[in-house]
Amino acid sequence: MIGLFLLTLRELRARKVVVGLFVVATVIWVAFAFALQLDIVDGSLAGARLFGQETVEEGPTHAPGDVMLDDAGQPILGDDGTPRTYGDELPFGASTLLESVVFTAQAFVSGAAYWIGILLALFATGGLVASLTERGQVDVILTKPLSRSQVLGGRLLAVGAVMLALVTYLFGAVWLVMSIKSGIWSPRFLLAILVVWAMFAVVYSIVTLVGVWSGSGPLSFIVTLGVVFVSLILAIPDLALQVNRFWRPVVVGAYHLLPKFGSVGTTLVPQLATGGSVGSLYALASSLLFGTVLYALAFFLFSRKDLAPCSPPPGPHESPSR
Amino acid sequence: MPDLAISTAGLGKTYRGRPPVEALQPLSLDVAAGETFGLLGPNGAGKTTLVKLLLGLAAPSSGTATLFGRPIAEAEARRPVGYLPEGHRFPPFLTGRQTLDVFARMSGVPDNERPRRAAELLDLVRLAGAADRKVGTYSKGMLQRLGIAQALMNRPRLVILDEPTDGVDPVGRREIRTLIETLRDEGVTVFLNSHLLSEVERICTRVAILNGGRMVRLGTVDALTQRARAWSVTTTPLPDATAAALADAFGDATERPDGLVRHVVTVPDRVALNAALDRLRTDGVEVEAVEPARQSLEDLFVEVVAPSAL
Repeated sequence: MIGLFLLTLRELRARKVVVGLFVVATVIWVAFAFALQLDIVDGSLAGARLFGQETVEEGPTHAPGDVMLDDAGQPILGDDGTPRTYGDELPFGASTLLESVVFTAQAFVSGAAYWIGILLALFATGGLVASLTERGQVDVILTKPLSRSQVLGGRLLAVGAVMLALVTYLFGAVWLVMSIKSGIWSPRFLLAILVVWAMFAVVYSIVTLVGVWSGSGPLSFIVTLGVVFVSLILAIPDLALQVNRFWRPVVVGAYHLLPKFGSVGTTLVPQLATGGSVGSLYALASSLLFGTVLYALAFFLFSRKDLAPCSPPPGPHESPSR
Repeated sequence: MPDLAISTAGLGKTYRGRPPVEALQPLSLDVAAGETFGLLGPNGAGKTTLVKLLLGLAAPSSGTATLFGRPIAEAEARRPVGYLPEGHRFPPFLTGRQTLDVFARMSGVPDNERPRRAAELLDLVRLAGAADRKVGTYSKGMLQRLGIAQALMNRPRLVILDEPTDGVDPVGRREIRTLIETLRDEGVTVFLNSHLLSEVERICTRVAILNGGRMVRLGTVDALTQRARAWSVTTTPLPDATAAALADAFGDATERPDGLVRHVVTVPDRVALNAALDRLRTDGVEVEAVEPARQSLEDLFVEVVAPSAL
């Protein structure tokens, strides 16, 4: 199994797309490191520049403990009649603006990684499972003392490991850059690594099942894109209420049955990136269940599949060579 | 009972479809350990299906089979096996040396043994000079030799070779034949699936001929190619009277460049053969050689797989 794992890693390295994804990830975090300049005064954001351009105008520079003033310059009183003061916990003000910049950057990275990165990763790795059923290579691999589960498992583990490394590299580097620059350390952002990776794994289960069944990399990629597209439509709020009664159960059923790629991308990932409270995990959990079922089916199918189909039955007589 | 490398009992395969295709009719076959066995048949005869079934690439529709006593359904049954598939494709981004290493690791060859074994085999198949070149740059013959090295990395007790000389030049072909003979001498069981009948005839001790999914001949090469009650008799030219007297027994005659004539003599038994030889000597005909008449394996092959024989 280790042999197949290493072979897959080499194959991924040979596919320039995967290397390209690491290069893009590097460009992103380097851009954040060098192009984004945050001017922080007393723990508050005084200004931000991206590639030398001002992106946040110099805002209030209140320090924690300063009295809050209204537009007329009068102190704002709290419920107990005492003047309210700025503090780290305030919902608005300079420190909130800094957080906003940090969270916006993290949301941008996680969003891009989720919506674009996953699709690019699928493109880069989509053909790997189908190639396991191609005559020529599979003959050599499957005649080793390995079970079919080990063969498919080794392949998937390698793909998963590379994608986890890629997402961790991108998110970890951006998180470090932003945290060091801003002084705001929000480790919850790192949970988005697991969510993005888990959703990649869920979507990859479609690639795996279709790849094992059809032996076609392009077909498995197209079907997966189709499912992702449908899940995006199903993520439209109150879609079930907007369709007629005939289609309503179909929409509701499809929503619950299919992976919720759109829902997770529009709710959970931004929530983790921006430090917001995480709502329901149903979309993620049901998607994971979908992926688990599809992987189980793929392993079952792969273990029973006749690979490297043989020549057709005798046709026109062919003489041997000598 | 000898140690069996391969044993099948009613092993068959029918591919589902409309109509279903019976690629291999139930086949019972034993190949003893240490034997060099040839599998022959025209395209679509079921040879590749048999190999795929033995190696777990396809599931049998009927029957059972074992490799060295282990059921073929167990992955461990393949541990002592080396396999060279026909038309194999190694990852083009690996070098020859890396290819051997990766596939040997899958075969369970220990870490400390792989580099040494790879170097030894690359040398043996004359690829030492190209060992660190990408496989994608190899010629067909080089790929075939690399495939053979790959099949031998785990020091197999059974080597299954599917068209091993495909794409190999005559020199390489001879080297592969020598290699197979070396394996045979080392006690390795060789299961050879080849279209090159002369190759099989030279190397194999026993052959099976498949046709239309069923086994139509099985036996030693000698036994299969020997014509029943026929001898090859080489003599000086026969006088007309002698030829006329022996016309019933003496069939085809071929004149050799040295002036002698080779006759195919068909007689019911040894007594009749000796009577014919006595007549020759009585008539002053000199006998150069008497040997059992054989047909070539190719002749036999064509005879049993010809459309009329179906």
